[in-house]
Amino acid sequence: MTQKFFGGGRGFSRRMFLEGLSSVGGSALLMAGMSALGFDIASAATAPPDLSGGGGKKVVVLGAGLAGLTAAYELTRAGYQVTVLEARSFAGGRCQTARKGFQLNELGGETQNCDFDDGLYINHGPWRIPYHHRSTLHYTKEFNVPLEVFVNDNDASYVMFEKGSGPLAGKPVRKGQIAADVRGGAAEMLAKTLKQGALDQQMSADDRDTLIAYLVHEGYLTNDLAYRGTEGRGFAVNPGAGVNPGPGKESEPFAFSDVLHSGAWKTLASVTGHEQQRTMFQPVGGMDRLAKGFEGAVSHLIRYSTKVKSFRQNDKGVVVTYEDEDGQTGKVKADYCICTIPLSVLRQMDVEVSKPFKQAIGEVAYALVGKIGLQMKRRFWEEDHHIYGGHIYTDNPEIGSMNLPSTGWQSKKGVILGYYQFGAQAAKVSALSPKERQALAGRAGDKVFEGYSSNIETSFSAAWHRIEHNLGGWAQWSDEGRQSAYPILCEPDGRLYLAGEHLSYLTGWQAGAIESAWQQIAKLHARVHAA
Amino acid sequence: MKSLVSLFAALGLVSAVASPALAADGRQLFLDNCAACHQPTGKGVAGAFPALAGSKVVLGDPKEPITRILNGRGGMPAFQNDLSDTEVSAILTYIRSAWGNKAAPVAVPQVLAFRSNTRRENAKASLQAH
Repeated sequence: MTQKFFGGGRGFSRRMFLEGLSSVGGSALLMAGMSALGFDIASAATAPPDLSGGGGKKVVVLGAGLAGLTAAYELTRAGYQVTVLEARSFAGGRCQTARKGFQLNELGGETQNCDFDDGLYINHGPWRIPYHHRSTLHYTKEFNVPLEVFVNDNDASYVMFEKGSGPLAGKPVRKGQIAADVRGGAAEMLAKTLKQGALDQQMSADDRDTLIAYLVHEGYLTNDLAYRGTEGRGFAVNPGAGVNPGPGKESEPFAFSDVLHSGAWKTLASVTGHEQQRTMFQPVGGMDRLAKGFEGAVSHLIRYSTKVKSFRQNDKGVVVTYEDEDGQTGKVKADYCICTIPLSVLRQMDVEVSKPFKQAIGEVAYALVGKIGLQMKRRFWEEDHHIYGGHIYTDNPEIGSMNLPSTGWQSKKGVILGYYQFGAQAAKVSALSPKERQALAGRAGDKVFEGYSSNIETSFSAAWHRIEHNLGGWAQWSDEGRQSAYPILCEPDGRLYLAGEHLSYLTGWQAGAIESAWQQIAKLHARVHAA
Repeated sequence: MKSLVSLFAALGLVSAVASPALAADGRQLFLDNCAACHQPTGKGVAGAFPALAGSKVVLGDPKEPITRILNGRGGMPAFQNDLSDTEVSAILTYIRSAWGNKAAPVAVPQVLAFRSNTRRENAKASLQAH
């Protein structure tokens, strides 16, 4: 058994021990173990760069997504003359929210008109702000965008794994029950193994006893090192008043073997990742409130519905040609250019850059991503199942996860995220019509909640790889690309500076776009200042 | 070709990631997996998704289209965990003969050869959620 846990061999290191815990208990157990052994995880602190003592120069910014908005806002404050060209009729880039009246026309698809009830919405782009994304939170505070908690982890929500075996496979099981039982079962096994002296060669008696004490605590073990359940996994009969129900009745844990074979424990690690930890936030009323915040400050600098046609530069300046809403072409001349156009789009554009730079632009892949919002006529997940927000985890890659809304508690209706899928699965689902996508999401939901599909009133779906001006959810760098192309693109090519989530290690997060813009305008400013 | 397929299946050489559909329908597989971007007409969308009709890559040495399907490239995802060798061969055979394209069918062993050489783990990329 120990061999199976620790990967075999005679040597036993702290790392192997941690890996053993991770493979059995998910990283929740790993994290607890790491803390106990003195590891910790730090997060970076960030603020806009100091751009004092410069300015006056002209900068043209391509794209009014969060990177472009950040650059425009900070450069203007520092005294630069900024013009922003934006292909869409609104600012925000991928920071969008679909509510009544929002229109989307995927390339090769039919036009969708969102017809959710007033007050209901889906964030089909970015939807979460981790507490340590201090750059994003800097601007929500700056623009007075009210936040609310996004429920990113909910013990009451269901895990629905169909690919495992045994009695729990293919059944919705409360996440907290899986978490408690797998921790308990793994802790029991390890504690008993330690007690029998199986690792006495590898650790001192004092370490062993402390570790057993930890396992008793971690796995809710009784004095004989057995796991017999814990009230934290929920009650069979909830405690209440009087003598009936009185103390209630504790629930019976699932058999450890059944939990293991269900595969449902695979989901536990997901919310412990650095980017997924609590506290998670969302803007009240939709993610696009953040874009609107920026827009309040810089909309007068933005030329909307203006498509970039070409970029030229020499040692004196840059020239960007564009086509406006009426099909009229024009030119913007500036000293410098900050281009935030996604590389998936930029690679196909007429831009004058050096050969290695051009080649580097073409090297990154973009994520295929699909999401659907389903307006439900009744909040059955709250009313019937007592689940308030959080994810429904599946092992069906066509669906990925579902998400229950973290807003509008106990109101009449709500919008559920019906799927969130990637890659080849997203390609497949995006071939379906909006109606067929809704049906697919409905069939998956019916496996978890009785009557799910019959509650769907209307839906809105987005496949980011088919959305013009984006052509993908976010940049997906390979390890090779990070080594070769990425460093090239992080530096200016002549007078052209790129910025966006694609030039960060926070790809797909708004913080990546903002912090990339901060870094690039600091470089630009230093150059102007030095000149 | 069918006997070859059976032979490879019997030898366990056909990829186990998807059930090998012996009579895989190339057209249907194309519509399910590829047409969202490349369009049912094979014409793609200018400035976004390349056309397959008349494409030099599609009609040329099968190595290139096979590895693109298996590993992805640019905006195209890797299908190596989603399509079996039989399915990849059926799709390629279809797109090399549809819309006026004329090129030889692609047999399962050809796909298999590149799969074994090019298999890469890309789990992280597909699991990134934001």
